[in-house]
Amino acid sequence: MPETRTDDVHPPYLYPDYKSTRLRAPSQPLVRVSPSPLEATGPAFPRQFVKDSEADLTTWGRSAPLGEKMILVGRVLDEDGRPVRRSLVEVWQANASGRYPHPVDDHDAPLDPNFLGKGQVLTDDDGRYRIVTIKPGAYPWQNLGSAYAQRLITQMFFPGDPLLAIDPIFQSVPEAGRKRLIAELDLEHGIEGVALGYRWDMVLRGPRATPMGV
Amino acid sequence: MTKPTPSQTVGPFFARELLWKDGGTVLFPGRGERITLTGYLFDGAGAPIYDALFETWQADPAGQFPKGDDGARPYGYGRVSTDPGGRYAIETVMPGSFKGPGGETYAPQISVAIFARGLLRALHTRVFLAPLEVVKDDPLARAIGDPERLRTLIAIRDPRDPRIYRWDVRLRGAGEAVFIEL
Repeated sequence: MPETRTDDVHPPYLYPDYKSTRLRAPSQPLVRVSPSPLEATGPAFPRQFVKDSEADLTTWGRSAPLGEKMILVGRVLDEDGRPVRRSLVEVWQANASGRYPHPVDDHDAPLDPNFLGKGQVLTDDDGRYRIVTIKPGAYPWQNLGSAYAQRLITQMFFPGDPLLAIDPIFQSVPEAGRKRLIAELDLEHGIEGVALGYRWDMVLRGPRATPMGV
Repeated sequence: MTKPTPSQTVGPFFARELLWKDGGTVLFPGRGERITLTGYLFDGAGAPIYDALFETWQADPAGQFPKGDDGARPYGYGRVSTDPGGRYAIETVMPGSFKGPGGETYAPQISVAIFARGLLRALHTRVFLAPLEVVKDDPLARAIGDPERLRTLIAIRDPRDPRIYRWDVRLRGAGEAVFIEL
């Protein structure tokens, strides 16, 4: 199976407890190359691509969705702590019952007609984002940095969740990286009596120095 | 240095949330030779992968990197899912070759990222839209060395319709594609 560097926070491709990796993880080592000069650049999302209303997942329906309203704030940073500006943050999640509005998700939990579970926002010049949503029954988040090579899909978890100890997808992450997936309670960014606030920063691998070829 | 946020799988449920209208039509400001890149994704048992997210990023026909947008979507970027048979298709223009900072030549290629249930990290690779003779001096081709492995990244032009380039991707086992760590 492909080697992962010892300082790596990313999970391995093959993690047998997560059964779906067994037939999908490559068996050959990855070939290490520098990002091409193309991959050091990335797509530019137009302002119109993201509407302000898309940062609030609770206003799509005729009335408010069921569940506990929450506000998530955070920053997208590179490894040197610099903000990643105008980075597209796309979020998707289950509803308060833990169900996705997806035809394949047919487990026994109700759909909520007032909740689509989808939102997106561009980070500001300080790399900040803010999302209003409801606390999901039992959930994913992803990110597109300023360079194609920074592309990341990841997942945010809640503090104190007892299921983390038995979640193979969370457990696939090396121990050193696990707490980076857990948001912190942040009362300052909540709205008293309405919504709890949480904070979660995402760190993307910094664009490497000028690619030097292989 | 702060360590990066760990990667996680895209999972099985993303189609309604992440897919874009016309995400399989890659936009550019100018014209070029229209081509379709299409093929199937297979797992280690040879079964089609019907729930993958397939993303592409590429240069324009002159080998320039896309900047800007058409008002609705960024230029140069494709995003589709595989269909129930494991097939993907991207309609785009033929990318030009481009130079690296050391003067090395990158053959006509499209950078590809694959996300799916069972992939805890993205699979990155590059597909070449030129024959082996043209590709062999590309920086990635040199890093791979073995021509048999390199062939897993070369799209085959359809003899009946030269606008179509076929590229099947095996994630694991016999004929496994080369994947890269950027």
